[in-house]
Amino acid sequence: MKVAFRIWRQDNPNEKGGFKEYQVDNLNADMSFLEALDHLNELLVLRNEKVVAFEYDCREGICGQCGVFINGRAHGPHDNVTTCQLHMRSFQDGETIVIEPWRAKSFPVIKDLIVDRSAFDRIIEQGGYISAKTGTAPEANAIPIGKEISDRAMDAAACIGCGACVATCKNSSAALFTSAKINHLNLLPQGQPEAYRRVIEMTAQMAKEGFGHCTFTGACEVECPEGISITNIAEMNARYFKAKIFS
Amino acid sequence: MELFFRKSMIAVTGLFLCLFLIVHLSANCILLLPEEVARGLYNSYSTTLRENPLIKIVAYALYLSILLHVVYALLVSLRNKKAKPTKYAVNRSSENSTWASQNMGLLGAFILLFIVVHLANFWARIKLGMGDVVGTDALGNVDVYAVTSSLFHNIYYVIFYSFLMIPLGFHLHHGLKSAFKTLGFYHKAGLRLVAKIALIYAVIMSVGFGIIPLIVYFK
Repeated sequence: MKVAFRIWRQDNPNEKGGFKEYQVDNLNADMSFLEALDHLNELLVLRNEKVVAFEYDCREGICGQCGVFINGRAHGPHDNVTTCQLHMRSFQDGETIVIEPWRAKSFPVIKDLIVDRSAFDRIIEQGGYISAKTGTAPEANAIPIGKEISDRAMDAAACIGCGACVATCKNSSAALFTSAKINHLNLLPQGQPEAYRRVIEMTAQMAKEGFGHCTFTGACEVECPEGISITNIAEMNARYFKAKIFS
Repeated sequence: MELFFRKSMIAVTGLFLCLFLIVHLSANCILLLPEEVARGLYNSYSTTLRENPLIKIVAYALYLSILLHVVYALLVSLRNKKAKPTKYAVNRSSENSTWASQNMGLLGAFILLFIVVHLANFWARIKLGMGDVVGTDALGNVDVYAVTSSLFHNIYYVIFYSFLMIPLGFHLHHGLKSAFKTLGFYHKAGLRLVAKIALIYAVIMSVGFGIIPLIVYFK
């Protein structure tokens, strides 16, 4: 299999950057997309050229590191998938594949396809945790939680913070990420002591980081590898109004 | 705070405007009746509206709603543009979202253009007395029917009034669905119902408002 990779190259955050095209031969349709990029980088090393910088960690679809924009879609042509779970069989032989970094003011490009997603970390720092006593682990069944609540909390907790929601959103809104993190904890008894503070402070940080408004295009839930539902954003809004009234 | 306040203002004013459109379309249906019935009914209805002090309050709420809807939409769009300073070279947004949801600002601009022309055609002539003097009918009511009828016998205005109901329909469909989510309604089955109602509502408003000028023209 042979493809042309048209990749965004940018040496540092201050450089302008631009696309560069690479012809890559001897690819296998069963290779993962990241393996194809590895193959390209090996060729670049042999040619004494700078390798393409891209992020990855687990390559199992659970870490959220490998976010790139491929042919006009976050994580490539399929819905609800990470880049590492994308395979070359999803592309045509001879196709030109355009790869760009996440585009958002709050996710500045560090190098090539790597962006700085620490804005997410700062949102988490504002309340994406619970206060628990240290020491011996408490009895697991001490706080019973209903199946429906536990399912909803786990669905929200599935967010891996890859940033595809921000990347695909025309407004670079971080509402899906922030709402998933808020709802996950605010649904559970353990999250109650900080429930109001959490929603107010995490959303304030989201605004401070420069993310845009959510206009409910729904693109985020289609590109989210974990299929986090957009109703989480509506739930976050409800929690915000409640916190503003009662806190 | 501003992330929630601005969007909530757009949602609340938008929902109020949605309610207004129902009343407006119901009244417009009078235009579909035979001329001899329609003229008297339409003119006495509009006189009642103009003279009712309660309607005056609603009218001011309406002007304010349109103004706030536009101002906050502009502020939201401005922040959103700033949040995405670099666009993608290739973006297949049609594969993950509807065109209308990605272009609410453009659709809204068409509707604003419509409102400006619409107010110039009716409000400016009837309430502000600008342009040709509007006569009265046999009962002594201001002949708003004549203004409407003459406007809808001009093919250019008929095309303008009917065509711009297409962006209105798309704007209403996405707007109505989203307003509920913006205001914190997150019940999944409820939202599915809202989506269905929004579609039916948008079709009725778009087709209803769009077809009346055509019917009057060909009547």
